[in-house]
Amino acid sequence: MISTPVISLENLTVTYDRHPAVHHVCGCFQAGSLTAIVGPNGAGKSTLMKAIVGLLAPAGGGIRYAGIDRRRDVAYLPQQAEIDRSFPITVADTVVTGCWQEIGAFGRVTSAQWRRVAEALSAVGLDGFGRRLIGTLSAGQFQRALFARLLLQKASVILLDEPFNAIDARTTADLLALVQRWHGEEKTIIAVLHDFDQVRACFPQTLLLARELIDWGPTDDVLIPANLLMMRQMAERWADDADTCSRNRD
Amino acid sequence: MTPIPAPETGIEPMTLWHALAGPFIEYPFMRRALVACLALAIGSGPIGVLLLLRRMSLVGDAMSHAVLPGAAIGFLIGGLSLWGMTIGGFVAGLAVALLAGIVSRHTSLREDASFAGFYLASLALGVLLVSTHGSNIDLLHILFGTILAVDDSALFLVGGVASVSSLILLAIYRPLILECFDPGYLRSVSGRGSLYHLIFLVLVVLNLVASFQALGTLMAVGLMMLPAASARFWARQVGSMMLTAIVIALLSGFIGLLGSYRFALPSGPAIVLTGSIFYVLSILTGRRGGVLTRLLATRHLTG
Amino acid sequence: MKKLFAALLIGILAHAAPASARDLNVVTSFTVLADMVRQVGGDHVHVRSLIGPNGDPHVYEPTPQDGNALAKADLVFVSGLGLEGWMDRLIKASGYKGTVVVASKGVATLSMREEGKTITDPHAWNSAANGVIYARNIAFALAKADPQRATDYKIRGERYMQQLQALDSWAHKMVNAIPAYKRKVISSHDAFGYLGAGYGIEFRAPVGFSTESEASAADVARLVDQIKRENIRAVFLENSNDPRMIRQIASETGAVLGGTLYAEALSAPGGPAPDYATMFRHNIELLVKGMRGN
Repeated sequence: MISTPVISLENLTVTYDRHPAVHHVCGCFQAGSLTAIVGPNGAGKSTLMKAIVGLLAPAGGGIRYAGIDRRRDVAYLPQQAEIDRSFPITVADTVVTGCWQEIGAFGRVTSAQWRRVAEALSAVGLDGFGRRLIGTLSAGQFQRALFARLLLQKASVILLDEPFNAIDARTTADLLALVQRWHGEEKTIIAVLHDFDQVRACFPQTLLLARELIDWGPTDDVLIPANLLMMRQMAERWADDADTCSRNRD
Repeated sequence: MTPIPAPETGIEPMTLWHALAGPFIEYPFMRRALVACLALAIGSGPIGVLLLLRRMSLVGDAMSHAVLPGAAIGFLIGGLSLWGMTIGGFVAGLAVALLAGIVSRHTSLREDASFAGFYLASLALGVLLVSTHGSNIDLLHILFGTILAVDDSALFLVGGVASVSSLILLAIYRPLILECFDPGYLRSVSGRGSLYHLIFLVLVVLNLVASFQALGTLMAVGLMMLPAASARFWARQVGSMMLTAIVIALLSGFIGLLGSYRFALPSGPAIVLTGSIFYVLSILTGRRGGVLTRLLATRHLTG
Repeated sequence: MKKLFAALLIGILAHAAPASARDLNVVTSFTVLADMVRQVGGDHVHVRSLIGPNGDPHVYEPTPQDGNALAKADLVFVSGLGLEGWMDRLIKASGYKGTVVVASKGVATLSMREEGKTITDPHAWNSAANGVIYARNIAFALAKADPQRATDYKIRGERYMQQLQALDSWAHKMVNAIPAYKRKVISSHDAFGYLGAGYGIEFRAPVGFSTESEASAADVARLVDQIKRENIRAVFLENSNDPRMIRQIASETGAVLGGTLYAEALSAPGGPAPDYATMFRHNIELLVKGMRGN
């Protein structure tokens, strides 16, 4: 299989109020790759992901998408906190929004699509949960529901932002298996993760980020002590008196 | 002032039908009031539910103040023309709502804070305009109508707004709901997340201003928010919440009007108080989370 | 020596001759009163009304200019009987220390119900007979404040009072020509207690008198029944309130909108009620025309 880059980051910089959340990141994600983004707290991992999805605009550099449409082909699982779980809506109605690309804002949902919803719920171990309100699910169950939605999106690129935070071990294992299945279907998967053991076990590629790119490549080559040491030296706080970055090119 | 004699009591027996429907059959103004309630229920009920779920419940009341500068400018341009003032009020309300929406979207300020800021600015501007240019006619009092005085044009206004509003709501239902509870997802699959939010705000202002003009602030806001709050205790999903809110609003209108007729209570407060009674009853006895319901539920299922 | 004495005499006489009297600055609470003062006062009395045309004299938000005008005023007129509740505070704040003339002094008062309480009806001026009393009080007050023109005021006052007396008689004649059972009208505001009592016209209103209170369906229903039963044909708007309730009742009963009555404020100068006398005449004419159709 010839590897082709599907998402290329070109000197990407994303800032908050002129402080760099991530800066000067270069590299590309190959089609069909399974990559973990790791780094310390505040390293800009979520920011990077949001930039790739298009939720944040780059302050410098850019992102190139080869052969895919960012809206249609990229699926994004945000951190749970951004969803209002007290909203009175059922699991099925939430999951069916995964069909957005097919039905858009106004199209009718066909029975075939409802069947796919049921199948997706089964696939994530939420059989019969369709009519439950999302507020009645546990964190793990809700995460499974969101994965079910991803299944319906039929995207070729999947981005997961800390998908296993505060989730029980059994759910994590099941969802990891799902991720492996996707990888087998040659989807490109990028996930922000904290557990290095998980990364070493399941993710062949790793992007090590500490606001700047430390290393990017096969996991075993990236997660070496030298890199990890550099990672720990990254200052967590933003420096109020920092100079303008010398690598700025206007 | 000579006292007005009591209403005539007919010779026919007071059947239930006569008691409930009689006043509406007999008096055109009662019929129109009921139709206005129906329009208000259909138009404002679903909107109230969404406002409630988005934690924007006080917007209605704030909006009744925000319309003042628009009404003042309408008055300055066209005198005491109701239509001029209503359109002016609508423009002002819309400006406040849209500015608040845009600011909350693009800055760190949340919706309620940005709304508070803009509506207060609008109110102050309105008071200033009225004080320096207007005579001392109470503009807002003239702008806000009463349900017993709903004439053809007011009925047309509320009815038209309710119809248009419901159709638009039905059309953008899915993206709007999604925007309410998972705006991030909507933004990632569709570029138009803000658009649906802005459409929603326009519908809010439209319904409120039309209702202010025809029915007065108390009724407009009361029948928008109280049925929605009550519906929370009966309906499971957002869709059925909206339908429940419509039904409760209509019942409040009907019972309130009857009470105003039978017991000589002022109409607007009677209707809104009926809505409040529904609200309290719902809190206590509602199937979902009612206080007494919870206290009395002793037996649970096996699984 | 003679020349010096003559010069001195002329000088003394020049000082002793009465100085041409300064014009009077008068402030009144609202337009009806302002017009009456102007009629009696003539060119040397400058009248300023705090409330403008078509305004509501029950509630008023004063401006700083009002305070100024009051401070510089020589005389202040109010109608009284509780109409201008806001006036006391304004006068105190402005520092005006002169006389406040109550124009309605001596009027035989009626009572009315407002917000559930019985109070004195303040709308005394709507009857021309009371207008005469107002004119008399105004003439007296002006003469007292400006003694040098006292004769002027007396003459003008008498003339105005005669005009109002004539209006009063005319009104009686017009109304008496209508049979008693037809003398009923519907009006949105109860400012016509004195007019009704003075000339024998029955006024009914569907709404409470305060701008805050709201009607009940029962009130409206009763009114509709009564209008239909007694065949009242004429409904009247009032120029400073919401006309919609009245219009609704008119359309429901088939009654005709008889026009706009002016109760608490004059119209703008080009309008149908630019001064008190015209206002009264206008009201009576509309009422009579409306009642004829009953």
